[in-house]
Amino acid sequence: MSAPHGPVAAGGAPLQADGAALPAAAVVDAPPPPARRRGATRRMLRSPLGVVVLVGVLWFSAAFLVMPNATLLLATFVPDGRLSLSAFERLLSSERALRSLGNSVLLAATLAVTVNVVGVFIVLVTGWFRMRARRVLWLGYATTFVYGGIVLAAGYSFIYGRYGFVTNALAQWWPDLDRDWFSGFAAVVAVMTFATTTNHMLFLSAALAGIDHQAIEAARLMGASTATILRRIVIPALRPMLFAVTVLTFLTGLGALTAPLVLGGEDFQTVAPMILTFARSSSSRDVAALLAILLGLATIVLLALMNRVERGGTYFAVAKVAVPITPQPFQTRWGSVVVHVLAWALWAVYVFPVLCAVAFSFVDARAIMSGSITAADLTTDHWVGVLTSADALGPFVVSVVYSGLASAAVVLGLLLVARALTRWRGWLSSLLEYVLHIPWILPTILIALGLVMTFDRPRLLVGGQVLTGTVVLLGIAYVIVKIPFTLRLLKAAFAAVPDELEDAARILGAGQLTTIRRVVVPVIAPTMAAVAALNFTSLLDDYDAAVFLYHPLFEPLGIAIKRSTEGEANVQSMGITFVYTVLLMVVQGLVLWLVYGRRGAGARRRG
Amino acid sequence: MIRFDALRVSFDDHVALQGLDLDIGEGEFFTLLGPSGCGKTTALRSLAGFVEPTSGTLHIDGRDVTRVPSERRGVGMVFQSYALFPSMSVRENIAFGLSVQRVPRDEQRRRVDEVAAQVGLRPQQLTRGVAELSGGQQQRVAIARALVLQPRILLLDEPLSNLDAKLRVQLRGELQRLQREVGITTVYVTHDQEEALALSDRIAVLSEGRLEQVGTPREIYEQPASAFVCDFIGEATHLSAEQRAALAGAGVDAGRDAWVRPEHVSVTAADDRDPAESGSGDLPAVVLSCAYRGSTTLVELEAAGARLLASVPSAEAARVEVGDRVRARVEVSAVHQYGAAA
Repeated sequence: MSAPHGPVAAGGAPLQADGAALPAAAVVDAPPPPARRRGATRRMLRSPLGVVVLVGVLWFSAAFLVMPNATLLLATFVPDGRLSLSAFERLLSSERALRSLGNSVLLAATLAVTVNVVGVFIVLVTGWFRMRARRVLWLGYATTFVYGGIVLAAGYSFIYGRYGFVTNALAQWWPDLDRDWFSGFAAVVAVMTFATTTNHMLFLSAALAGIDHQAIEAARLMGASTATILRRIVIPALRPMLFAVTVLTFLTGLGALTAPLVLGGEDFQTVAPMILTFARSSSSRDVAALLAILLGLATIVLLALMNRVERGGTYFAVAKVAVPITPQPFQTRWGSVVVHVLAWALWAVYVFPVLCAVAFSFVDARAIMSGSITAADLTTDHWVGVLTSADALGPFVVSVVYSGLASAAVVLGLLLVARALTRWRGWLSSLLEYVLHIPWILPTILIALGLVMTFDRPRLLVGGQVLTGTVVLLGIAYVIVKIPFTLRLLKAAFAAVPDELEDAARILGAGQLTTIRRVVVPVIAPTMAAVAALNFTSLLDDYDAAVFLYHPLFEPLGIAIKRSTEGEANVQSMGITFVYTVLLMVVQGLVLWLVYGRRGAGARRRG
Repeated sequence: MIRFDALRVSFDDHVALQGLDLDIGEGEFFTLLGPSGCGKTTALRSLAGFVEPTSGTLHIDGRDVTRVPSERRGVGMVFQSYALFPSMSVRENIAFGLSVQRVPRDEQRRRVDEVAAQVGLRPQQLTRGVAELSGGQQQRVAIARALVLQPRILLLDEPLSNLDAKLRVQLRGELQRLQREVGITTVYVTHDQEEALALSDRIAVLSEGRLEQVGTPREIYEQPASAFVCDFIGEATHLSAEQRAALAGAGVDAGRDAWVRPEHVSVTAADDRDPAESGSGDLPAVVLSCAYRGSTTLVELEAAGARLLASVPSAEAARVEVGDRVRARVEVSAVHQYGAAA
């Protein structure tokens, strides 16, 4: 489920369109960008820190943000040093490629509807209606925070796929069952619909919570029914956020990689898997690059549209003292029954694969294959295997090391950059910021393909080294894809540090670095830790970048999981994949709890 | 001690200070007073070195400090938000400047203890986090942090504005006592005229980046140099053309802008036959409202078709009621007149 990295929703909070767990955005409310200051660029160039940051950013941007994209464009349109549209011609003559384009648009459009229907329903039952066991419902729907991407696609495949447990169980009762019943367009739509409601849960819920309860009470006093209030007050207030999450959903559908790859089957392949296929052969790389460019262009256009729509109108609460909304009672008993039944049925859909993953990690793979599990099939072999065998644990360790190093590098590297951009707000810092946001508008696979094609020969900017095929390039890709998200949140964190605090340190004699080290960093340290942790978890099960860039001897988790879904021969590794899944859910759940849960608990205690 | 010499500060198209000329004496408690956006904080931040003047110079002790970095100006500052470092304890906050200067730890400890006692912080409060302190205590920490480096000048940027009214009055007194004890030259910024009048040796009133008047609190209040100062400091009624015409016989120049403070207007019964005293003018009036203020009552009158305020002893005010016809007696010698009438 490839996606752009951290678009911005209404209100300035960066969004992550990834269906996988990345609710990071709401960590900090980014204040509006302050106006440029006259002479800021001059002051930046006079400061040693400013110059160091400038040189560092220019080098990194030139080497890893601009050059790969330029290479991609050149390889596509100027393949032999001459302008050529041969890539276009080959694309137009390839039925598979054209069909994949059509499929991507169809998937994106369908998801824009289905995800909104399910997402809005979830937001209403968890935030608007007075539901029984609302918190349990929420937890069930929130499983997508810790269960997404390749892991989720593999999980669905193991449960409903050709060799899945449910398919096998059904086949016992219905021998003529088409074992590929859960495959193709419908399966991809179903899986992605349930996997990508994360944005609704994060941002639409937040928008709903931001509605002033007194406005609702006022409407009620004037005789409005719950339906009227929803239609006339609540939905209009949510409209910009709905638009934002719709665009993000559309983009997620357009760039979808893992779900079509695992569950699409022969008949339903989309652009991203096609790029992967074409990229594998040097003779069709230009078509892969062209498809990636088209995907990137669609992303840019849609994000630009989203930003434009966001700018118009005031949608946030204008109340001086907004009162938080409280759950609304149902007006009729049958309404309550219908909504409760639907909500819990949906809850079961969300929770079933997660429970299966946990349970199946303790079950012999042959029993899962047979579709019938007894107490005798329970085993801890998978766990023992993963935790004691270097081979089995290998992918997990590789992913932990890559994710850990990349998330630490991107946070530490951008610390001074974010500081410089916040401090010297001139034309130069604006330019640097735009350049650093390039990965924000490009799908991961385009970035990865650009890197592969750029660094397959010695490049001066990286000391004349060839990076393609080395262990370094995947780490660099991880750093790149996390730059926009990290930069936005670090900038917001710096902006939230009162100027007076730095002035106070300065007037007491502290130099710039002392001020940063002793005053500013301790203040923004929680944000730094949160961003690093969220980057870490979101990279752990990455597939989109890894599939282009991984080193065969250091196979990351996403690749290992994907391979376990490929045909019956690999099904034996299913048990290990379930162990990985549980481990990932535990790590991601723990990180989310550390970032959000404790703060919530603290707030409740203080409250 | 401090001299602002034609200091001008502009931000893009906005001119925050339009050539400020000001002298502040050693040991003085000097207040920059004015409404929001008048340039008082810009003047203070220029003095601190946080704002680079567009033109003009700044001198401290005869030394041109216009381009000297903040930390080398010998000034301490208490910020409006106090700007305490949230990750540090009270002691660490106060000692921050000393540790930056690499003062030995024993010396740091001694000086922190000393200044903490001076500002009224108890030893056990020094180990606490700053978030655990009340607003008043935080303010003491901020003052201690500014004083511990023994600056020649203390800058205070609306330090009382975050406190409740009662604590504000209490800390105002303590601030004054501390300033006298330490004898430090203090530049204080506020928009609260009552605070400025109570604390200052001298006040500079600013408006729209320009200096309106410099003087002692008494001079500022009793001899306001401009209509703005008269209106901004204390209460005053802007006399209408009709009111000025009615008082012209008593000596008011009807062709010029005129203001009178409520304490220079008295109220007598409508049938009072006593002629107006020399230098006073009578106007028939109707009582619109009475606002009891303890020893005095502010009576709002309608006289010559416009509003007129009178501050009268509450005992006298008890004899009039809303709607009563009375006579408003204006002390013409206390009427402030400026330029031509608007």
